[in-house]
Amino acid sequence: MKKIALAALTIFALLAVTISACGTPAPPPTPTSPPAAAPTPVAEATPIPEPVIGTTYKIGFAPAVTGGGSFLGVPERNVAEIIQASLDEAGGVTGPDGVIHEVELIVGDTESNPDVAASLARRYIDEDEVVALVMGSLTPISLAISAVAMEAEVPYVSMASAGVIVKNPDTGEVYHWVFKSPQGNLEVAQWQVERLTAMGAEKVCYMYENTGYGKDCFNNSSAQLTAAGFENVFEGSFERTDSEFPQVPGIEAAGCDVVIIGAIPPGAANAHVAIRTALPELPIMHGHGVCVADFITVGGEPMEGAEMPCSAVIIAEDVPADDPQKEVFMGFKSAYEEYTGEPVSTFGGHGWDALYWVVEALETLPEGLSLAEQRSAIRDYIETNIVDWPGTAGIFTLSPEDHAGLDYTSFTWFIVEDQEFVPFPQEDW
Amino acid sequence: MQRYLGTKSVKMALTVAAAILLVAIIALLGYRNNYGPKAFAQWTMDGIRGGSIYALVGLGFVIIHSVTGVINFAQGEFVMLGAMLCASIFELDLPLPPAVKLVVAIVASVIIVTLVGILLERGAIYPARGAGVVTLIIITIGATIAIRATALIIWGTRAKIVPAFTNLHQNDLIFRPFGLTLGAQSLWIWGTVALVLCALLYFFERTIMGKALRACAVNRRAAELMGINPSRMSLLSFAMAAALGAIGGVVFGPVIRPQYDMGLVFGLKGFVAAIMAGMVSPLGAVLGGLITGVAENVGAGVTGLYGYKDLIAFVILILVLLLRPQGLIGGEERGVEQS
Repeated sequence: MKKIALAALTIFALLAVTISACGTPAPPPTPTSPPAAAPTPVAEATPIPEPVIGTTYKIGFAPAVTGGGSFLGVPERNVAEIIQASLDEAGGVTGPDGVIHEVELIVGDTESNPDVAASLARRYIDEDEVVALVMGSLTPISLAISAVAMEAEVPYVSMASAGVIVKNPDTGEVYHWVFKSPQGNLEVAQWQVERLTAMGAEKVCYMYENTGYGKDCFNNSSAQLTAAGFENVFEGSFERTDSEFPQVPGIEAAGCDVVIIGAIPPGAANAHVAIRTALPELPIMHGHGVCVADFITVGGEPMEGAEMPCSAVIIAEDVPADDPQKEVFMGFKSAYEEYTGEPVSTFGGHGWDALYWVVEALETLPEGLSLAEQRSAIRDYIETNIVDWPGTAGIFTLSPEDHAGLDYTSFTWFIVEDQEFVPFPQEDW
Repeated sequence: MQRYLGTKSVKMALTVAAAILLVAIIALLGYRNNYGPKAFAQWTMDGIRGGSIYALVGLGFVIIHSVTGVINFAQGEFVMLGAMLCASIFELDLPLPPAVKLVVAIVASVIIVTLVGILLERGAIYPARGAGVVTLIIITIGATIAIRATALIIWGTRAKIVPAFTNLHQNDLIFRPFGLTLGAQSLWIWGTVALVLCALLYFFERTIMGKALRACAVNRRAAELMGINPSRMSLLSFAMAAALGAIGGVVFGPVIRPQYDMGLVFGLKGFVAAIMAGMVSPLGAVLGGLITGVAENVGAGVTGLYGYKDLIAFVILILVLLLRPQGLIGGEERGVEQS
């Protein structure tokens, strides 16, 4: 058996050598760890008087790095690593009394599983004594965490999209300790309804990728579209690896006015190309999962005319300088692209916004508060002071009545023209 | 003997009845959902295209299994490597006209993947040749995981682009015969499958080397006594299977956007095709692949259960194993039961 194991090892090594020797570029799939931010002695960096080092603040951070939500969780994890590196470089946050506190993001993985997430949240709260939680990329997971956070009275910012996370849909009660930073598939669906109304469409065909994201797109859109009086005449799921699309004759037979696709690239692009090739005249719309340059590169020519709502961060360079979001767009985009070597992910932005709310709140905490006081002060700060706050997803205005602070208009409607994402504002419809 | 014939005719009758029932259901569903002959023609054509790649993968399974008795689950990874390498080499900034560059990319990727197949045999299968077949199969599963992980490290998760052979562009030339949609690449795929099948049949039936391979399949010890070196034949079968997988990946590259993990699906579907061939017949593997592809597309299309497309292939797999374990083509005495 030893011999076999040895052979397996050899073949693995040889494979790696053979394949990389043929001259293919070899970018690592996972971002390389950031240049280890040397813990610079704070005394050197700051002038006299000698700064006082306070307690370390811990933030419990856990997106869905693995499992069905990993398309969201991986960019969010990347963002946490970027922010941790930049906090380390700055030496931490400085309170209003001049006391410097190091900030530690405890990064975990919810595994896209509510049970894992809830016990992780409990561990963060009880053992790690975190001041705030930033967790949960998916709605069901966020609901599980929010129950724990409310019971333990810890401020919790969710990175999932559904409105039910922050507000009880039946009683209208806003959950005291819970916030969320993204707009999501619900808001996408609301935009799609606006656009379909403007187009004068009646019958809609829906295609979605057989993943957590695709199903969530479909559930939100079908509910919104039906409520708005559109007829959903066709629904079909597909797999990312599909090369044949038997759905296309079905779409043709259903006779719809518009096709909506809920997927991420390359699946979204493959489905788009299949439909566009067979039915050149049919308008095709997407969700915000395709807001990445890969979508157009993979699809090529047939992507022309694809429409989708995206955060304007994807065209950060072209946003006018006087736009309040310009600065945060550029900061986020350049940091993300530099760190990961990949085009910016709008999903990562949800982690960015959520973490910076908490970090900003930490800067207002004086030294000497008890853990319970710190937690409560962070909650109060986020609720009252995140007002006209430019984030990657939009300009947030939180209030005791609104713990999300965005609506669907924070998305910009885009169309693909000349192989570029081009804003397509409502006035031009 | 009498009893045996009895079971056989019962099986036959059952198969025919099931086929008639299936056709009736499909016709009824098509009628109910307003699908005309055009939709069926489109599904069939798409299915034949998808099935062609299953056929090529199935051929690889058949070649290796008939010589060594091993089911090489890394077969799908050869397809992935072929497509990914072709795309990567074409992306390189070589001072060549695009057409020449594509030919270079195709030839180079097929050669490299063949070498990977040889390495796999010499490095992992040959040293363990004394172990049982099950151990060897598990080694191929290990190789699958290793190759996929290596591909992930080299290429990441992003999709690659292989240009269409006809217009050297990522978007293929489209023909519209009778209102159907037919990419020019489909013709390349079908031509390749036909050519490969003819070459293989010629090789197995007409050349000494091919006959030696078949001799190993029939009786390894006897072949050895006749002066055939089974270890060399095993190496040859892995090289051929890897080359076939790579050819499949290369011709199929332009109609899919290859990714590091695409091998799994093709491997499993190709396995279904190989099972339909009883793991021994090259012609059966091609037929099996085409049937799987068409059944998938027509089945998913007409029922509207698109999410269950893969289920159809595996239902076929189970049915074939239950009803005709010796494969669609082939006599009584050959087939998976025997090995």
